[in-house]
Amino acid sequence: MELAEILFLAFASIAVVTAIFTVISRSPVISALFLVINFGALSGLYLLLSAQFLSVVQVIVYAGAIMVLFLFVLMLLRPEKEDKYFVVNRKMKIFAVIVGLFLFGQLAFAIFASDIGQTVSIESSRSEQIGKIAYIGENLYTTYLFPFEAIAFVLLVATIGAIVISKKKLD
Amino acid sequence: MIHYIYLSVVFPLLGFLINGLLGRKIKNEKLIGTIGSGSIFLAFIVILVSFFELLAMPADSRSVTVPFFTWMNTGELNVGFSYHVDQLSIVMSLIVTGIGFLIHVYSIGYMHGDRAFWKFFAYLNLFIFAMMNLVLADNFVLLFLGWEGVGLCSYLLIGYYYDRDFEKGTVADASKKAFITNRIGDFGFLVAMFLIFLTFDSLNFASVMPQIGKVGDVGIYELIAIFLFIGAIGKSAQIPLYVWLPDAMAGPTPVSALIHAATMVTAGVYLVARCAAIFALAATAMMTVAVIGLLTAFFAATIGIVQNDIKKVLAYSTVSQLGYMFLALGVGAFSAGIFHVMTHAFFKALLFLGAGSVIHGMHEKQDIRHYGGLQKYMPKTFLTFLIGAIAIAGIPPFSGFFSKDEILWDAYANGGLLFWIIGVITALMTAFYMFRLVNMTFLGKPRFDEHHTHPHESPSVMTVPLMVLAVLSVIGGLIGIPEVFSGEGGNVFKSWLAPVFADANLILGPHGAHSHFEEILLMVLSVAGAAGAIYLARHIYLNSPAIATNTAAKFKGIYNLLLNKYFVDEVYQKTIITPTVKLSEKFLWKQADNKLIDGTVNGVAKIITIIADHFRKFQTGVAQIYAVVMMVGIVITIFWIMSRL
Amino acid sequence: MDSTAINNFNSDLAVSLSAFWSYFPIVFLAGVILISIAIEMYSKSSKKILPWFTVTALLACAYYSLLTVTDTGVYFSGMFATGGLTNIFNFIFTFGGAIVVLLSVDYIKKSGIYYGEFYILLQSAVLGMMMIAGAKDMIMIFIGLEQMSITFYVMAGLNRKRASSNEAALKYFLLGAFATGFIVYGIGLMYGTAGTLNIDFVFSNIFAAEKNLPGIIGILLFLVGFSFKIGAVPFHMWVPDVYQGAPTSSTALMATGGKVAAFTALILAFRPVLGTETLAVITPVLAVFALLSMFYGSIVAIAQTDIKRMLAYSSIANAGYMLIGLAAGNDYGIEGVVYYLAAYSFMNLGAFGIVALIESADEKNLLISDYNGLGTKYPVLAALLSLFMFALSGIPPFAGFFGKYYIFIAAIESNLTWLAIAGVIASVISVYFYLRIVVLMYFGKGESQVTPEITNASLIGIVISALLVIVMGVFPGSVINLISNF
Repeated sequence: MELAEILFLAFASIAVVTAIFTVISRSPVISALFLVINFGALSGLYLLLSAQFLSVVQVIVYAGAIMVLFLFVLMLLRPEKEDKYFVVNRKMKIFAVIVGLFLFGQLAFAIFASDIGQTVSIESSRSEQIGKIAYIGENLYTTYLFPFEAIAFVLLVATIGAIVISKKKLD
Repeated sequence: MIHYIYLSVVFPLLGFLINGLLGRKIKNEKLIGTIGSGSIFLAFIVILVSFFELLAMPADSRSVTVPFFTWMNTGELNVGFSYHVDQLSIVMSLIVTGIGFLIHVYSIGYMHGDRAFWKFFAYLNLFIFAMMNLVLADNFVLLFLGWEGVGLCSYLLIGYYYDRDFEKGTVADASKKAFITNRIGDFGFLVAMFLIFLTFDSLNFASVMPQIGKVGDVGIYELIAIFLFIGAIGKSAQIPLYVWLPDAMAGPTPVSALIHAATMVTAGVYLVARCAAIFALAATAMMTVAVIGLLTAFFAATIGIVQNDIKKVLAYSTVSQLGYMFLALGVGAFSAGIFHVMTHAFFKALLFLGAGSVIHGMHEKQDIRHYGGLQKYMPKTFLTFLIGAIAIAGIPPFSGFFSKDEILWDAYANGGLLFWIIGVITALMTAFYMFRLVNMTFLGKPRFDEHHTHPHESPSVMTVPLMVLAVLSVIGGLIGIPEVFSGEGGNVFKSWLAPVFADANLILGPHGAHSHFEEILLMVLSVAGAAGAIYLARHIYLNSPAIATNTAAKFKGIYNLLLNKYFVDEVYQKTIITPTVKLSEKFLWKQADNKLIDGTVNGVAKIITIIADHFRKFQTGVAQIYAVVMMVGIVITIFWIMSRL
Repeated sequence: MDSTAINNFNSDLAVSLSAFWSYFPIVFLAGVILISIAIEMYSKSSKKILPWFTVTALLACAYYSLLTVTDTGVYFSGMFATGGLTNIFNFIFTFGGAIVVLLSVDYIKKSGIYYGEFYILLQSAVLGMMMIAGAKDMIMIFIGLEQMSITFYVMAGLNRKRASSNEAALKYFLLGAFATGFIVYGIGLMYGTAGTLNIDFVFSNIFAAEKNLPGIIGILLFLVGFSFKIGAVPFHMWVPDVYQGAPTSSTALMATGGKVAAFTALILAFRPVLGTETLAVITPVLAVFALLSMFYGSIVAIAQTDIKRMLAYSSIANAGYMLIGLAAGNDYGIEGVVYYLAAYSFMNLGAFGIVALIESADEKNLLISDYNGLGTKYPVLAALLSLFMFALSGIPPFAGFFGKYYIFIAAIESNLTWLAIAGVIASVISVYFYLRIVVLMYFGKGESQVTPEITNASLIGIVISALLVIVMGVFPGSVINLISNF
């Protein structure tokens, strides 16, 4: 096993485990902390895929800025424990987990059973390029110009939506 | 203009929409009348210009299809509002819009002061719209749409005075009778349409017509022809479905003139003529058409002799004349049939409108026994009515002579002597009862109380259309002068329509050879007979009315039989209507419907409701469960697809 | 980037810019959103200006879309297409959006959500739909979908004071995100096997490789995700809760524009592979979804007492009918679906418009029993609602009939006669709950208790919908001809 593979497995398992803990943890703060670790593991995965820029952005923007903001808000609001909001239905929970595992099994089978590697042919030069800021920038402003502009409106409407839903007093 | 022929359909529709939607608000009768008549006039102009354009084309290319818009197209069935302009449809459209326009103008005077003036004009415009679709359609579906549309308008207009009494029932009963009787015919038409679609895989004339004779065997043509004819019987009031037309006289008189004499009732003739090639292949059906037509002509004429209601006489006369037209179609004289449609439209519309003028002047009285001597009160009406009567009696050179003579000659040439004899007897009876009508109405001494009733001539808005129609009734026949006088191809009307019926005539083959002498001899005989009948009518009803009463007394049985229209209505009541009502009430309603069908339906509904209630419980409102259901769905789907690959 | 690439890009951009008037509507609408925000910020009377500004802008877009319907082209490095079906869909979105505005003007005042932001959100949702309609690339579909969905999440929860509205928003958000996850994963799998995100390429080549299981699973997940968005069984569970909880005017937009947009994505995806074996793998799935949706929707709708819930189940059933058109997998099917989408939109806009009118300020009068005796008290409203109910139950000559007719014919053409028959049976079942309302309105015992304030804007919106339903029903051939040209 090469180093890259070992690192991949390590980051991947951290990502999966922390994701699970994010979901099942009852305390919002702990959930958020697990999410930070999850983001860290993801950025590691990006790095392994030679997407160094994305990796750095992941750490700076998500783990650094957004999650810190999250944690601040959560600590300031001090939300109570969420237990009482959940209807506990053990049977359903177990059933859901089984179905989820089954789905995972199917997808895994689909990916591993096929000879997917042969159908993809991306020139290696491009995969080296991918991590560079210049390459991303060029592509964003040429091929993906239109989606890039379009996504600005997604952010805009998300902002407006957040304001509409949360603003204290709307006249 | 020919490529804008759809305007002639759109204008009446616009008139209908304006009068129908805004009429109640407009209130001004003149404006409503102008909109109503104007829209028809514009349509007439469109048709007239198209006619001249058609005339300018070479004879064999006078057939234009004008697509307006596609209504629906799915696979083999492609049905559109597209219009087919050829020699036949342009003649029919000229009749519909031309006479339609005159009758609209007339109605402005006749319906003056009516409580729902706007509604009347809206209905009339709607009728013209439907009728134009019927005659201009380039496919059976659109034709059927027009067919049903004119039926609906007829129903609405017969029942226009829905709250008045009519004979033994109410006006509403009369309109219902017309509608239901028509539905029987429509059923036949529908079956024919299905058969046509099965045979030809299409309902468009353009693709059906060339295939005739090339696909299917004779049997299917016989079937199609018979069912088409059942449709025609209903709409054109032939035996055994003619009973609705006399009752249709419950409607306002202009309606009787327009719908129940000049246009709608000839739709059946048009349908048969349009499908002439199919009929030509179906010998039995052709014979049926001829015999039914002849019988209808004869029996309706016998009833007409003794009727006392001015409109009833004209109604039976219409049934009788329609019989003539079918006789013509049945013996293969398609253009003669259409020719008679045209001349009949002129003089019968004239007669009805004249009758309307009389009724108008006599304050809604319709019984001719209480008329008499009206000549001096309404000279214009008298003169025009007289012209109409001469025309229908078949006196040359009035229009009726040419068309009727052509039919009689073809009946003789293709059908045999018996056809001719019955036809001529019918013609004599026609001349007789028409002049009975003229004499009893306009001549002699007044049989009404001149101090209380003051007959008056109608306003010129009514008499001018009468005069126009009178002129047409006089000269209208000249375009169809028999070839025996005018030489080969001298019958302009026949040569004009010849391309339309070329296929049918080719299948039927040439007429049997007969000499010119025979033709002229028969012609002279029938004219002489008609003149004699006119004289007889004058003698009996003007000079010695006693003869009539004596004869009636002597042949009381026959007289009552005729007066009561052979008791057909009563027979239908006893044999069909009452048993049907009983069956539906006792069995279908109380047993089959209430117990069997309702029980089944309610049972199914109950089961579904129970299932629905069970399903509803799945909807718990818990989002997690929704997500799980989704996942299960995904898992099963993926599993299924994987197993299939 | 080497110089040829830059040159390519420059020439491509030049083409894109010179074709500015082809994709003008979407740019225009984006501009309108920005202007609306400015109006909302600076103008005191923004609430009076915005609705009419929005209506005018949307109608202008609708008109322009129809005007340039023949102006087909692909711009921005194969990202965005115009003309043809795209413009027809844009017309449905923008015209439908304009009608929603008309229906909303007084409704949002009445129900206490009188925010100027409502119109901005509505414009954004329509913008998202237009992005989907023009998408030539998976990325665009995804961005458009998100743009639309995020807006809908917010619009569902617009009535913050009400628990039902909040619950609807949260449920919609959670489940919607769940579904979007599947869509993204599916797109990822497709990209993994095809190496590109171009829709035409992906869908026409994904089966080229033998045993390309991940690619097929990708398509399947894509399909599943959009089946959620259109509310097909078994991904329908959110529909009744959200439609019921959301403010009625928001529901009107979700049920029409939202569903049409999701179908648009499916149509765009499956159109390149019509009639090929590729589609034959997927069609049985579509057929089963269609079957389940039609029957589940029609049957459960019978048991409903709330009219919005009933319309929600009706929309599930309608999704089923439209899936038949996709399952047929031929041109007729696609034409039928597009026709039915337009018909369905206007029928539902009208129905929801009337529901919004009848609804009282405190969200009462939403029960079916509240429509008792409406026929004598409000004859016009009752007549219009009857028209929409007749149209929905597929009675000619309204648009609903021909929609179903075309779809069933398409199914028969591709040997899915059993599905067409099932569709007819489901339609018959659905007649029960549609006509129940008509019967209740005209023959129900007792007096009507509702006292709606019938406002002009709403009435105009409803009447326009009614006219469209009639016109489309009377001239179905013309509409189908327009669609089948592309």
